[in-house]
Amino acid sequence: MIRFEHVSKAFGSHQVLDDVSLVVERGEILFIIGTSGAGKSVLVKHLVGLLRPDAGRIFLDDVDVTSLSEREFYPIRKRCAMVFQHSTLFDSMTLAQNVALPLRKHKGLRAQAAEVEAVRRLDQVGMAAEAARFPSDIGDGLRKRVAIARALTLDPEYVIFDEPTTGLDPMAAANVDQLIRALSDDFGVTSIVVSHDLRSIFKVADRVAMLYQGKVLLDGPPSAFRATTDPVVRQFIEGRPEGPMQFPRKA
Amino acid sequence: MSQLYAFGRALALLRDTWKWTFRGSLRRQSKVFARQLYEVGNRSLLFITVTLGVLGTISVFQVLLQVERILPEFSVVGPAFIQTMIREFAPTIAGLIIATRVGSGIAAEIGSMVVTEQVDALRLCNANPVDYLVAPRFWACVIQNVLLTVYGGLVGICAGACVAHYAWQISWGSFFSLSLVGFPDVISGLLKATAYGMAIPIAAAQAGLETTGGSEGVGAATTRAVVNASFAVVVLDFLLSGFSFLFLFGNP
Amino acid sequence: MIGWVSGLGAALIGLLETLGGLAILAVRIVRSMSPRTLDGRETWRAFYKVGVKSYAIVVMTALFTGAIMVIQAGQFVSKAGATSFVGWAAGFAVLAEIGPVLIGLMFSGRVGANNTAELGTMVVTEQVDALRALAIEPLGYLVAPRVLAMVVMLFLLTALGDLFALFGGGVTSELLLGIPFRVFAQQVIEANLTSEYLLGLVKGSVFGFSIAVVSCYFGLGVKGGAAGVGRAVNNAVVLAAIGIFVTDLAVGLLWNLL
Repeated sequence: MIRFEHVSKAFGSHQVLDDVSLVVERGEILFIIGTSGAGKSVLVKHLVGLLRPDAGRIFLDDVDVTSLSEREFYPIRKRCAMVFQHSTLFDSMTLAQNVALPLRKHKGLRAQAAEVEAVRRLDQVGMAAEAARFPSDIGDGLRKRVAIARALTLDPEYVIFDEPTTGLDPMAAANVDQLIRALSDDFGVTSIVVSHDLRSIFKVADRVAMLYQGKVLLDGPPSAFRATTDPVVRQFIEGRPEGPMQFPRKA
Repeated sequence: MSQLYAFGRALALLRDTWKWTFRGSLRRQSKVFARQLYEVGNRSLLFITVTLGVLGTISVFQVLLQVERILPEFSVVGPAFIQTMIREFAPTIAGLIIATRVGSGIAAEIGSMVVTEQVDALRLCNANPVDYLVAPRFWACVIQNVLLTVYGGLVGICAGACVAHYAWQISWGSFFSLSLVGFPDVISGLLKATAYGMAIPIAAAQAGLETTGGSEGVGAATTRAVVNASFAVVVLDFLLSGFSFLFLFGNP
Repeated sequence: MIGWVSGLGAALIGLLETLGGLAILAVRIVRSMSPRTLDGRETWRAFYKVGVKSYAIVVMTALFTGAIMVIQAGQFVSKAGATSFVGWAAGFAVLAEIGPVLIGLMFSGRVGANNTAELGTMVVTEQVDALRALAIEPLGYLVAPRVLAMVVMLFLLTALGDLFALFGGGVTSELLLGIPFRVFAQQVIEANLTSEYLLGLVKGSVFGFSIAVVSCYFGLGVKGGAAGVGRAVNNAVVLAAIGIFVTDLAVGLLWNLL
């Protein structure tokens, strides 16, 4: 279980997170939604120690990770993996080598064995045929799948997906949704998905939390979102350009 | 082979720069030109001062140590040092410094403009990038490189004189003698400074204008600019030294 | 007047901050260089890349450098008629001073700038963050192999380059000064410049380390997309060049005092 308690974070004069409290239950798929710049990525980066809060506390399974040092975060990062928005595969390595890297570093596998295991994991995301190619040779959607495979190499209990379907065509997006659902159903992985893709939300999410102006506006199952009367949330769901929602200026 | 093509393109850029200059680039871009004079000149002063000061110090130090060992005849060290400074070290070291600092700066600037499509936007407004971007930087570099070379030479000579005076008790008078310095030395030094001043902005602007592809491209262009500009300085140094040796100093 | 002074003060503080950051990074890099944490594959890759990228330009620069030094020495020598000193003068200048410095400057441009650009691009595309999220320390995995490769390579390139420079000098002395190659070579050997050669090698190693630390520092600190990478490379080559000259002085002074 993950707990955010009264977390605040500002960049310069821009208050991105303002007293945010959120709970993520084990095994569920939580979608964190909001407009661009609402602080979604900022919030989840705290979980893996890429950012530190100005105020508040963060707990991962009752371990207080708020002020851990970089070194102390290593065991946490093995349990909580992150798939970045732009996939961020390592350009200088093949897809297989990308997936093999954490296997070599943390599971002590030698280069050959690691690559064999990497190809097996690539097969789970349907990418085994491309294992010897380089990230720059394949499209965004395929890169996303490899990034997911790489994140799963250490068999994490928690996975963060930062805008996994943004910029993907509908088939690739559906593919990613399917993967996230399978992770939860088959392996009991807790997934936190940062997104503003409404289709994914209503197809896959167990719970949805919406961030607006640094605060949690609504927190509940997708059905609660559908039925809400809050004008800001309604504007988001209906995708209307005009309405009560104010767009935050990017810091 | 591709190096040869690149060199050809560089010559073409040089020709275009001259062409646009005769069509009045500096008059049109006077503000940019003035800005560039400051960028290239004033902002390189500290770097030149430190580097040539250090070089003057260490050169005289090393030479005096050796001379002391072999033939303790100190009176020739000052004049010979000054002559070598004027003829070789001031232009070349200043040139390498400018190649590094200004070369990478110009390439980074122009390269960023290319990847953010600002150069394309210029073309659409019927403004020629060579006229607008390259020519002012070219002439700023030529002028400032010569000035900085002269300045750097003075700094280096003074630094060397200090070492000679305070560590070896050589009198100021015997060090600061221009007995070995002749007209050909000065011409040689100025020729080099001018040539470097022309080669550096061309190499840098070429690398900048040929940038492709995002932040990786800008990094690659900046690297190429430093390498090409520095190497151009080395090659020109060799050619001009040889030329001076054969024709200016009247050697058989 | 106040503006000028405060500007100078700000620049000084900025410089001290950078120097402090460089020192801290240098210490952290050395500490992370144990055989256990060094990634074998990344280290081999770094050696290969650094070597392949730089040997051509270093060799060419060295040849020209030797030639230039001989021409300069030659001008004194033909006036004074002391042709037997050419080998000693040019050899001394090349091995102790000009060779390592020019090779170092070329290396800084070719390898240092490239390194900053590469690391900078990785920072901008979040690849460094991705490493951290995989619980892999960027210093040990990315930086230490590159630093090791750059120090060792510049040492080797200086050793080799110095010889090429002397060769270039010999050819020039034959073609331009009329002093045959083997006479030049003899003069160089008889001048007994081993101590100067070693000094050059020490300088090469020190230059390699300072270029490596400076280029990694600016590469890892990139902010602001493509323009940020360009700025970082600019700052890196400038500081690396200053570093070369300053350490040149320091090593030279220390060597002569010991």
